[in-house]
Amino acid sequence: MGRVSVESLSYSYPNTNDFALRDVNFNIEEGEFILLTGPSGCGKTTFCRCLNGLIPQFYNGEMKGDIRIDGLSTREHPTYELAKHVGLIFQNPDNQIFSLTVEKDIAFGLENIGEPKPKMVSEIDWAMNQVGITPLRERGTHELSGGEKQRLTIASVLAMHPGVIVMDEPTAFLDPVGAEKIFNVLKALNEEHNITIILIEHRMDLAVKYCSRIIVFNEGSVVNDGKPREIFTSDETRLIGVGIPRMVELGRRLRQTGYPIGIPLDSAEAYANLTPYLIKQEAPKPRGEIEDQNTYEEEYSSSPLLQLTDVSYSYSDAVEALKGVSLSIKRGEYIAIMGENGAGKTTLVKHFNGLLRPKNGAVVLDGEDVSTKSVASMARKVGLVFQNPDDQLFAEDVEEEISFALRNFGYKEDVIKERVNWALNLLDLERYRKSSPFILSGGERKRVALASILAWNPELLVLDEPTVGQDHGQKERLKHFLMQLRTQGKTVVIVTHDVEFVAESQPHIFLMAQGKVIADGPTKRIMTDKKSLEDSSVSPPEVTKLFSKLTPFGFPPDVVDVDEAIELLTKKMRGNKK
Amino acid sequence: MSLLEGLRFIRGDSVLHRLDPRVKFLMTMVIFALSIIFFDLIPLLLVFILQIPLILIGRISKEWLKTLKGAAFLALIIFATNLLSFYFFQGMHLTGAIVEYSLTLTLRFLALITSFSLFFLTTSPDKLSLALEKARVPYEFNFAFITAIRFVPVLAEEAQTIMDAQRSRGLELDKGGFLSRVRKYIPILLPLIVNSIRRSLELAEAMESRAFGATKNRTNLYELKMAKSDYIVLFISIGVLIIAVYAHFFLPPFPKVMNGILFV
Repeated sequence: MGRVSVESLSYSYPNTNDFALRDVNFNIEEGEFILLTGPSGCGKTTFCRCLNGLIPQFYNGEMKGDIRIDGLSTREHPTYELAKHVGLIFQNPDNQIFSLTVEKDIAFGLENIGEPKPKMVSEIDWAMNQVGITPLRERGTHELSGGEKQRLTIASVLAMHPGVIVMDEPTAFLDPVGAEKIFNVLKALNEEHNITIILIEHRMDLAVKYCSRIIVFNEGSVVNDGKPREIFTSDETRLIGVGIPRMVELGRRLRQTGYPIGIPLDSAEAYANLTPYLIKQEAPKPRGEIEDQNTYEEEYSSSPLLQLTDVSYSYSDAVEALKGVSLSIKRGEYIAIMGENGAGKTTLVKHFNGLLRPKNGAVVLDGEDVSTKSVASMARKVGLVFQNPDDQLFAEDVEEEISFALRNFGYKEDVIKERVNWALNLLDLERYRKSSPFILSGGERKRVALASILAWNPELLVLDEPTVGQDHGQKERLKHFLMQLRTQGKTVVIVTHDVEFVAESQPHIFLMAQGKVIADGPTKRIMTDKKSLEDSSVSPPEVTKLFSKLTPFGFPPDVVDVDEAIELLTKKMRGNKK
Repeated sequence: MSLLEGLRFIRGDSVLHRLDPRVKFLMTMVIFALSIIFFDLIPLLLVFILQIPLILIGRISKEWLKTLKGAAFLALIIFATNLLSFYFFQGMHLTGAIVEYSLTLTLRFLALITSFSLFFLTTSPDKLSLALEKARVPYEFNFAFITAIRFVPVLAEEAQTIMDAQRSRGLELDKGGFLSRVRKYIPILLPLIVNSIRRSLELAEAMESRAFGATKNRTNLYELKMAKSDYIVLFISIGVLIIAVYAHFFLPPFPKVMNGILFV
């Protein structure tokens, strides 16, 4: 059980001549834990569809070569038969939960293959236990949190006892702690039941320590295949812009500067590898809070652009989504709002442009109380970019899409033209001016959505989960773009789960949990505030995890990004040599 | 909308919730029949009042009251149109009989609403679909029914998000004349439709992957089994129906309460 063999597999979707997969060859043995990666549009998802025969049975198009699961050809065996051998889990849990209660949804596959009731009950018990959702048995599926839904989808395929489980970016919408829970479930299934796992993931830093092998796709072909350490240090992988785990990067660059500490995959390993090179000494004085506070205050001493005072909000009588949130955002500030799923982050930013009105408390924008202002008038100053571009794209072409808001705001035609050109250029979309936004790729659609907001040049730009589903290269471009906006003095707020992204761009962080802001401060201070991080289900970046252990060797604990880490380490090791 | 609110199942546990959906449907139909066959105030008042203990047993009084509140406007219209039309047709005299008749019709409407609430508020769609399955409704139909219910909250949330996203881009839905307002819904409907098409494709993929249609002899996790309480309710319901029919056809008619009173 759990073997996959792929022989010269090529495939093109109907009505196109481009091959989405080109001559893919490899074997997967029982019990492997595989990470599939590669830039967006490289063919990973298409490959997953081949694994249970959706390609070529559900999708037409042209398929060459063969895939066999446990010796069964996906051409000859229908998808419903293959379901007992390979469980495929898609990105969005909502679109694969069919039933109204948890147990009924797990039963769905079993009912379809006609299992008798006693067998079903025991399989459901087993599957729920494996993924840790037993207490949720009779819950309504719409009441589940994102992480619970994701675990339900695992239980639902698990109940069929497949030898292979395939997951396409299961953690895209989850907070770091929720993501790690999913990975741990997969790891347990892999280790205890020898189930082969094939995982597509962009969050390398989290995923790398779980997998035994990485397969890198690019433009439909496999460009690299091997053990994590080899893959991440090979030039093929680096060149196509796959995210490299920060600890691997640390090891590689220290090796280049003459300190071969090996290639660690996570902070624990890095710590073990580094200690022989370091000498214990007294810790330096912590870079004090007062000092931080001062520079911070000096930097942004102007009047606040947006001020929330004791804002509360509830969607229904029962649940309070925000419980007395106070915060102020000054002109030119760069801010990240972080925290667990359901902490109220999106609810909070919807107050920034008046989509939601506080039940209690006040919102003051640019010196004016906004309680009587319309969303449209606030939106001119506050541009809110939603997480999913598909929730806003509707126009015939990209140009029309970008001018939509400008028309709503009543700009003159010549101004509209000028602003559209400016936005198209800024986000490198000029060549898509006349294309329908619906035919663009996911990353491009995200850029069109962003351009359609930036076009009217709002003073405050709010981005909800801008890095979700973005590959490494796209994230890098976004990071540079945000830096560019900052240098132009724009005030930027991002809502995000992506600690590594935050660590590298170092915003001022508001940390939220259960409807409250529980801590706020510069990245360095928040990322070393263990208690608050734990309360808001955020785990610090790997670099910070490493340096929190290195204090006995005379390092400051509040190091968040790789560049600073390498600088500090080489300096110290050089000193030790002398 | 609060009228429909009262027809939405809310999970709970009571004798009423546990009742076999077929028996509960029969019970509802009996109440339905009672409200239809009588034309007098007293029996309809009885039908209405006798449902209240059932509402209490099912612990759905809060939702039921919400439904009544939603139905109040419609009830008022029923009462007023009957009252006024009889008033004008019978020579501008507001007699007790007219008031009583209008009240009776209004009460009939409320009794019917209550009986529907009793059924839908305490019957999970899963059980309903099971009853349909027993009635040999094809599974595809059943699946579509459940899926529709399953995606109501998902679609509602999505529609809200799309509306928020477009309002954030300066779309003002409540401004302008009728036609321009209708046109303003295009930026909301289009993403909703496109997303739904995308979603249906993903759903189909996921169904295939979970062995949908693998065998004709599909099994079901839930089973319907008549318990003692089901038989008791079944017999009571049939008994009440027989008594009511007998009373309607063979007993002297119910006295009119407001006969002889002349209001205007």
